[in-house]
Amino acid sequence: MTGAPASAPTPAGSAPDPTGDVEMPARGSAWLEALVIPCGALAVSFVVFGAFVALAGASVPGVYYQMYRGAFGTWFSFQNTLLRSAPLMLTALCTALPAQLGLVVIGGEGALVLGALAAVVTAHALVSGNPWVVLVGMAASASAAGGALVGLAGALRVLRGVNETISTLLLNYIAIGVFKHLVEGPMRDPASLNKPSTRPIGDANALGNIPGMEVHWGLVYGAVACLLAYVLMRRTSFGFAARMIGGNVRAALLSGLAVKRIVVITCVLAGACAGLAGMAEVAAVHGTANASLIAGYGYTGVLVAFLARQNPLAVVPVAILLGGIGASGGLLQREEHLPDAAVNVLQGIVFVVILASETVRGRLWPRLPRGLQPAPAAEGSREAA
Amino acid sequence: MSGASMGLWGLPIALAGGALRVSAPYLFVSLGECLTEKSGRINLGQEGTLIMGAMSGYGVSYLSGSAWLGVLAAGAIGMVLGALHAWLCSLPRVNDVAVGIALMLLGIGLAFFLGKPLIQPTAPRLSALELGAWSANASLRTALQINTLLLAGIAAAFAMRSFFRRTRWGLVIRVVGEDANAARAMGYDITRVRFLATAVGGFFAGVGGSFLSLYYPGSWNEGLSSGQGLMAVALVIFARWDPVRCLWASLLFGGASAVGPALQSVGITVGYNLFATAPYVLTLAIMIATSSARRTLAGQPAELTVAR
Amino acid sequence: MSAPAAPWVPPSRHRVPPPLLETESLSKRFGAFRALDRVTIRVEPGSVHALLGENGAGKSTLVKCIMGYHRPDGGRIRLGEREVLPRSPREAQALGIGMVYQHFTLVPNMTVCENLVLSRATLPFVVDWPRERAALTSFLGRMPFQIDLDARVRSLSAGEKQKIEILKQLYLESRIVILDEPTSVLTPAEADDVLTMLHGMARGGEISILIITHKFREVTRYADEVTVLRRGRAVGRGRVGELTTGAMAEMMMGAAVPSESRAPARAALGEVRLRVTGMEANDDAGVPALRDVGFEVRAGEIVGVAAIAGNGQEELVEVLAGQRPRESGSVVVSGEEFTATRDQMRLRRVRCLPEEPLRNACVATMSVAENMAFRAFDEPAHTVMGVFVSSKTIRRAAERMVTDYGIRAPSIESPIGQLSGGNVQRSVLARELHGEVDVLIAANPCMGLDFAAVAEIHERIRATRDRGAAVLLVSADLDEILALATRILVMSEGRIVYETPVETAEPAVLGRYMAGHA
Repeated sequence: MTGAPASAPTPAGSAPDPTGDVEMPARGSAWLEALVIPCGALAVSFVVFGAFVALAGASVPGVYYQMYRGAFGTWFSFQNTLLRSAPLMLTALCTALPAQLGLVVIGGEGALVLGALAAVVTAHALVSGNPWVVLVGMAASASAAGGALVGLAGALRVLRGVNETISTLLLNYIAIGVFKHLVEGPMRDPASLNKPSTRPIGDANALGNIPGMEVHWGLVYGAVACLLAYVLMRRTSFGFAARMIGGNVRAALLSGLAVKRIVVITCVLAGACAGLAGMAEVAAVHGTANASLIAGYGYTGVLVAFLARQNPLAVVPVAILLGGIGASGGLLQREEHLPDAAVNVLQGIVFVVILASETVRGRLWPRLPRGLQPAPAAEGSREAA
Repeated sequence: MSGASMGLWGLPIALAGGALRVSAPYLFVSLGECLTEKSGRINLGQEGTLIMGAMSGYGVSYLSGSAWLGVLAAGAIGMVLGALHAWLCSLPRVNDVAVGIALMLLGIGLAFFLGKPLIQPTAPRLSALELGAWSANASLRTALQINTLLLAGIAAAFAMRSFFRRTRWGLVIRVVGEDANAARAMGYDITRVRFLATAVGGFFAGVGGSFLSLYYPGSWNEGLSSGQGLMAVALVIFARWDPVRCLWASLLFGGASAVGPALQSVGITVGYNLFATAPYVLTLAIMIATSSARRTLAGQPAELTVAR
Repeated sequence: MSAPAAPWVPPSRHRVPPPLLETESLSKRFGAFRALDRVTIRVEPGSVHALLGENGAGKSTLVKCIMGYHRPDGGRIRLGEREVLPRSPREAQALGIGMVYQHFTLVPNMTVCENLVLSRATLPFVVDWPRERAALTSFLGRMPFQIDLDARVRSLSAGEKQKIEILKQLYLESRIVILDEPTSVLTPAEADDVLTMLHGMARGGEISILIITHKFREVTRYADEVTVLRRGRAVGRGRVGELTTGAMAEMMMGAAVPSESRAPARAALGEVRLRVTGMEANDDAGVPALRDVGFEVRAGEIVGVAAIAGNGQEELVEVLAGQRPRESGSVVVSGEEFTATRDQMRLRRVRCLPEEPLRNACVATMSVAENMAFRAFDEPAHTVMGVFVSSKTIRRAAERMVTDYGIRAPSIESPIGQLSGGNVQRSVLARELHGEVDVLIAANPCMGLDFAAVAEIHERIRATRDRGAAVLLVSADLDEILALATRILVMSEGRIVYETPVETAEPAVLGRYMAGHA
């Protein structure tokens, strides 16, 4: 949101410069840019990473080859990639949805973890029920738990002006602390000795695989959620209002929009997506809740959102790409003897380069001639004292 | 050491000792962040800087045999990361907050990658002043072991306050952070000032990180930090951007972090994970209590966009 | 301040008069836009030289080149015998050229003392505050007005800030002082004080003054010479005594100046549409900005609120528009409580034309069509199944408004931030005046626009009133209020201090109330 009372960092409004602060290319080149710049940034990231691993002593072509193999080389590895990308699609929405309003929310990790907890509790509570009912119950409670966490951050922002980036980061740690406490304590399965886990939810309640694939339905949850998010933000009046708030909160207030309500609702939806990811991880992958769930999906989701420029549709391919990077970590470790943190380094490099590439936007092509002269500085304008 | 023999005194002493020990990283990172934010920029990547500092400090100490050299190296690495943050943020249309998170992830990834060979070996560590040598009580002696780096940090806090009030550079930083237009009209190069403030801020954060690996807990592993870098950002807000208040706040936060281990030392182990969340809860509570949807916080540099 | 005393001429501390400042064929381009085209100007030592011109004529660009903000593309700047080219305001200051800006360059959160000391070209490494304060206090002793050194700048009024800016130049011992519309935030009395003092200092050989203004009164009373700019060119110059106001105006605009007469007396007024009672609100710093404000606006009348910037009228508009919460008081529109929700605005037909439209009423990155749909995007006419937005109908509605209001834009899909100020204002106007309007709240609707756009917007506002709307017009431009309002309220320091129907309004009286003196 730009403008008082609470705002995200954006270029200042009326700087007295005749060329105008707002540089926007004409529509055609905007589309091209949206494709070329991220691809260029990715290419640069891979080059930088190549230099990095070369310094670490590995063979650069070898590294690239193993990454390709691990991500897309075989049907098996591609499915592995899809498996890893499923939660990323949902946690990315946790950042991408509030981003439409100009908020920077990083709460995916905490929401996922709480969602997983809620799913397990529900599964145990509905222990004798029909598996379909159990699944729906798990999904609902996981979404509610995740939604409550991020919704809280949203409420704190509109009611008390607490910065949502810091509050969601803190809430992540708090949620993880609560999670660990419950998993290692009251909810612990006595049979899980080496690795504290909750009692399993039972095979009957597991989320199965998509027919014909070794990938669970969580992938479909993710893709559908991204599609729905896109439609919501770009095609509905709710999304229009949300984009108004993200563009200029003062104009939104002037138009009488219920800003507080829209912010909180969006945050709840965002948290619900991440919570759902937690449920999918429990129901499809682990069958129980334990520390394996704290795998950085939340933070990688943030990266996916930024790489996709906060566009829910773009989240799907980007999540697959990052899933692929993550999937290749094992091969890199075995074949090229790189520590598994190499994948984190690549992710960090990608994130940094993508952010830096924003600066190139609007400057690649000569702008198409505009029908009107740029507005000269309003010389008689006065700023409120 | 068992505090049970000390009866009621065991817990507060363990807490105080823990606070003194644990607060140093908070102090250094918050001083660094205070400097950066006074110039009008927020650096959320301090967590990554902290961890990189911890790793590189440990590594250099191991390779060179001198812990203090490790501290310096940690500071230097922190400065490089701070400079990278500043450069990225100076590019037009780049989002400060996102850059911070990106560098946090990159810093952590790099530290874990480069630090793999450092997990096993032991490196020379920083020594402490035994201020409690007069006591016969073991836990009191341990509690009063104060590291010289902490003393340096305390001195730095007071020096920084004076710096902002009385020196030219400190005043220039304040002007840049308060009103970019006024600073430009006075002819100061805003980008350069923020660059330097962020880089030096990174130096402090790196040094703070070296404390973790070279004193307490005193080794390198991947679970070393638990968000101290991020909490320092909230700490600075709590301290109203005053360096000496950062000092008191660091002790407070150190105390909050020490609650878990202190309870363990007197034999209470239940709820360890919950107590570990104490500093985060405290930070969040402070932010809720001191923020207001309508007013800007007193003492806040007006150019700082995040805490509004 | 009290009525101006005899002109104060300080003892000249300089033995030599200030140097001659002149530019020769100065040019500056921004991309394809020619902001300055071979401008030559000569400021004689010890004179007051006025720079006249419309908005966009190039006055600010010219002085910014002199001050080192911009690098001219062609031409020369000469100071005394030397050719100079300041590369930054600091260098210009070192040469003895200082500028008093329109946008204050004081740091709000710091004290007056800190601000003045910090503005010096060279600061010692460690500042000895007691010594600096003593020096400042003795400096202030020589000045005709006093200020509290320890006051934080943000707690001062606009007039006081302006005086500090001027004092700053004297403190820095500038020989050439450039003033950019210095009296726009001062009352007529304050403006006279300041200009009289500066005029005296110029006479006394202390300083030369280059003053940017668009007020003929100031030019004729205080300036010795005038240069007129139009579209980046110097189109006329001369000694003030030898030029008539009409001649100057013609040079400025190249055509006869349309004059607006006062609003004729209105016939029967309708019911009370907007009633504000006991309103209290705070500004961003938590300081009370509105104190017990109450007034009524009836259908068919325009109530003008005259106030100098910073006296609470901005907050008043923000509260009415829903951008600021109120601490107490009530707002009643057409008989019902009004809290600026979307439903209320739609049902009671309340519209708002805020100042700085790009900052307050538009999203710069959204298209012209979308911006024009801000009030209507969730109405049945533009939604499918009540949930989905129909971009086709929005586009059609926008196209109609663009033709009606003569808005010039590259395309209806281009981001509204690309439009010129006048076209942005027209777009907001089109959106807000669409359909029936019962209550219109307008704030400084014509700021920064050229004369043609101003006349057009004034006409539209009058037409809205004629169709039965109740209009509240907040403006810092007394001429605009006198031309449009039926009834005038004066706001000062957050209170309504004076009310008069337009027929019996006297600018001098209004000015006194605006300044806070009955």
